[in-house]
Amino acid sequence: METINKISWEIRNDIGIITLVNPPENYLVQPEFVPIETLKKWTSYDYLKGIMICGAGKHFSGGGKLENLFKMIGDKEPISETMGKGKAVLEHLENLDIPVVAAIQGICFGGGLEIALASHIRVCSENALFAFPEINQGIIPGLGGTVRCPAKTGFPKAIKFIMSGDMINAEDAMEMRLVDFIVSKQKVFDFSFTFLQKLTRDRPLPVINAVMKALKNARSLSPEEAMKEETRMFCELALAEAKRRNGSSES
Amino acid sequence: MNIPGYSTILLQIDEGIGRLELNTPPSNTMTMKFFTEFSSVLEFISNSQEFKALVITGHGRHYSSGADVPVLLKEILEKTKTDEHGRLTVVPDFLSNNYRSLLMLESFSIPIISAIRGVCLGSALELALFSHFRLCGEDAVFGLPEASFNLVPGLGGIYKLACISGEALALERVLKGSTFTAEDALKYKIIDKIVPKKALMPTAFNFAREVMQDFRVEKRGLYIKKYFS
Repeated sequence: METINKISWEIRNDIGIITLVNPPENYLVQPEFVPIETLKKWTSYDYLKGIMICGAGKHFSGGGKLENLFKMIGDKEPISETMGKGKAVLEHLENLDIPVVAAIQGICFGGGLEIALASHIRVCSENALFAFPEINQGIIPGLGGTVRCPAKTGFPKAIKFIMSGDMINAEDAMEMRLVDFIVSKQKVFDFSFTFLQKLTRDRPLPVINAVMKALKNARSLSPEEAMKEETRMFCELALAEAKRRNGSSES
Repeated sequence: MNIPGYSTILLQIDEGIGRLELNTPPSNTMTMKFFTEFSSVLEFISNSQEFKALVITGHGRHYSSGADVPVLLKEILEKTKTDEHGRLTVVPDFLSNNYRSLLMLESFSIPIISAIRGVCLGSALELALFSHFRLCGEDAVFGLPEASFNLVPGLGGIYKLACISGEALALERVLKGSTFTAEDALKYKIIDKIVPKKALMPTAFNFAREVMQDFRVEKRGLYIKKYFS
């Protein structure tokens, strides 16, 4: 187990586990909640098949402490750069070619919710609570929440959710397509971990990587380009499979 | 009226509504020949003024079990250009034409309705996903099994499923590769309406007759609400 900035990392079987360890609310110390170079090192093990992100104790994360953020204004580094580093961390997670699951219990606010939204699958407990409270302080989510939230929920629901700053429960979050699974409080970690293992266990990495890349393309390319790439990846895998079946596998 | 000229597809038109049946019994496997004919059928329909709607279904008990994988692999091995390390350089045209056919189908200005009985697997589900509307019998079985033989869907199925059902569901269905029921498909928004098996074709044609009057793809949600809720 490694720990940096109150974030810990361990690998269990072939799943990497990132835990936010700043209890009770697991506030994020800074927008770049884990240094990007550290995250890149952690996620570069080539046998990893999935990543789970969770919070220590009762909560996922209360996000950033806004007082801290306001204090950073006037620091040497412009705030836009500080936020940019945080966004780069989330982009790295979202663009990984293995699945990332957020296992959410208790509160999942602000930057915490933005981490969850950058994950590919969100599992939450029945007692989970979600909010973008930034608006109450006269600011808005700054780590991509204003982009990733509407991408999941559609604009009308995202506008209401972000503009109101209101807290919603697990059922409402499910209804809004903000989360993908609701499980009982005791089962969030087990369910998320087992789900990831079941998804990836029997699949070779090239297949997992191709699926993740196709999903990334679906987010970022035109339909034509995304489909063209999907066919190319299919063709690559088919070529390897054909050779394998022929018994003339690549050297 | 039957429109002759195809061996793997039955094409008819009646009062402006086309009926395209996949016809390679018993499970309507999408053979190489089928994909070639499908592409020319789409050309034919798009050049004709007669078609005001198109219902796609399978001849007999099934929609389709998807591509003929062993033959497809053999063709890919023979026709794919590779570099000196055996790595892919150019995707063969016959493969690219298949995803282009689905894009073309989706871009049609007439409503395309898939009516699904029995199995609808792999590329067949991709075909259904690129239709504007999808109805199924209660016994229909769906799946993208490609990952279970070390492949992935390759005609835009991952892309389209992510658009329709969300990223998490697409990820789960594609990596698991297991089949799912009509009720699940409805829950995932893959299916717009489940109908009793015997009522499937009449429902599809009645629906086609209604929506072809003023079809616009942006109004998809409104039609479904109006006719199926």
